[in-house]
Amino acid sequence: MRRESGLKALLWAISMGVCALLVWIVADLVSRGTGPISLEFLMAAPRDAGRAGGIGSLLVSTFWIVAVATGVALPIGFFSAVLLAEDTHSRMSRAVRSCLDMLNAVPSIVFGLFGNALFCVALGMGYSILSGGLTLSCMILPILIRTMEQSLRAVPKEQRFAASALGLSDVTTLFRVLLPPASSGMAVGLILGVGRALSETAALIFTAGYVTRFPDNLLDSGRSLSVHIFDLAMNVPGADERAYASALVLVVILFVINSCVRLAARHFQARLAT
Amino acid sequence: MKLIFALLAMLPLACGGQASAGRVLTLTGSSTIAPLAAEMGLRFEAVNPGSRVDVQSGGSSRGIADVRAGHADIGMASRALAASEEDLTPVTIARDGVALIVHADNVVTELTSEQVRRIYLGEASDWSEFGGTSGPITVVNKAEGRATLTVFLEHFGLDSRAIQADVIAGENEQAIKTVAGTPGAIGYVSIGTAMVDREAGVTIKLLALDGVQATHQNVSSGAYPLSRPLNLVLTTSPSPLALEFIEFARAPEQNDLILRESFVPMAEKL
Repeated sequence: MRRESGLKALLWAISMGVCALLVWIVADLVSRGTGPISLEFLMAAPRDAGRAGGIGSLLVSTFWIVAVATGVALPIGFFSAVLLAEDTHSRMSRAVRSCLDMLNAVPSIVFGLFGNALFCVALGMGYSILSGGLTLSCMILPILIRTMEQSLRAVPKEQRFAASALGLSDVTTLFRVLLPPASSGMAVGLILGVGRALSETAALIFTAGYVTRFPDNLLDSGRSLSVHIFDLAMNVPGADERAYASALVLVVILFVINSCVRLAARHFQARLAT
Repeated sequence: MKLIFALLAMLPLACGGQASAGRVLTLTGSSTIAPLAAEMGLRFEAVNPGSRVDVQSGGSSRGIADVRAGHADIGMASRALAASEEDLTPVTIARDGVALIVHADNVVTELTSEQVRRIYLGEASDWSEFGGTSGPITVVNKAEGRATLTVFLEHFGLDSRAIQADVIAGENEQAIKTVAGTPGAIGYVSIGTAMVDREAGVTIKLLALDGVQATHQNVSSGAYPLSRPLNLVLTTSPSPLALEFIEFARAPEQNDLILRESFVPMAEKL
């Protein structure tokens, strides 16, 4: 009995440690980064290499890069996950799965160089938001597919059998039986993918680029927030405070997206289950 | 989601619009030069309506490869070109470098590379060894990840873990303030910043290194050993817009931008 409570305390301490790490990072960002944040900071383009002005244009570029990435990756990822979850044992699906796992382990700089060679040069899109978004979509596909597939497969087999016994079509089974319990897990996959896209730096330097003006269209080069943070911290003397402020904004955006996707998943779950 | 597809579908229209926007100049390369080039680009756009300057980062070698392959109009390289790169023309717009600084009251005026190495390794700890007034040497080092640290370590062949530092500074200004307030201190900072602060009357002195004074002339000529050129790189057949931009970047009117990035301008007037 005593051993059990000791173990429990240890586990609590470990998980508290993880939370403390997050609190520490956020507290550090808040204490060093709140100074420059104002409405003007959120709306204006950077000036003086980022030491003045704001991050407005970078927020617009970041939004479009992530929108292209998820807009392309989500439908492809969803349908691939559905197929892989149905077809669990064939040689083909096993090969696809191991390819995805390998792809997931590829360093993002490799995706950056690949994206530069394919989208920027071979397909002639140049340094652009479109190149950056498409590169990121390749990068987040593995994690999207694998988490979505896992959550579909976690639905008990009996429910599928019951659905077939009732003579439901495959499509109805998917949307009415499998998706409601799987949706929160799929939401986690989406959050992981969007989070990875938002925080990506190496893959974007070579694809979406470094230009800080407001983009006119998706073929304009546009610097993402994470590339900006990297540049301010490494290349621009005297911009540390603004690097912290930009990082704080990025973390807040991640929190907001996280909560929104979770809420949407809950809503979706409730609607489909009735 | 539908909105995104609708927008993707509209892309060709958008491209058509962009093509007529006119003169676009692309620069790629050194991440050291990129912030400076981007600022020059903004100013260039302001005086040349209708033109656009897109600056991309990614490293000196990338800049050279891109300008060769025609993916960029101008490459950026924060080093001298190698013998294998003779097909390209470098134009130096500024220099980047590191100055060794001591307190203005220190009587020592120059050190050799070997002496600097011994001080930073903790093998020499008193100014009397170098002809100065007897007193302990306070070694000011830079924090990990700073470009000046990289240049410093590379030149003196030092390993950052072997350095015996008394003070670790993050920013150039922090190192300068430490040295200006500590009579026995030695530090190293970005050379442009040191020159500007010295001129503004901050109580620091720039040391000569291996017999070469850290003057504006010696830095811009490349004689001062701890410095490197910031080059814009062209092919043999550059576009008229590229030449226009190069001329613009070399004009003394852009010196304030160069100084703000802690570099040393080439034009004589500082």
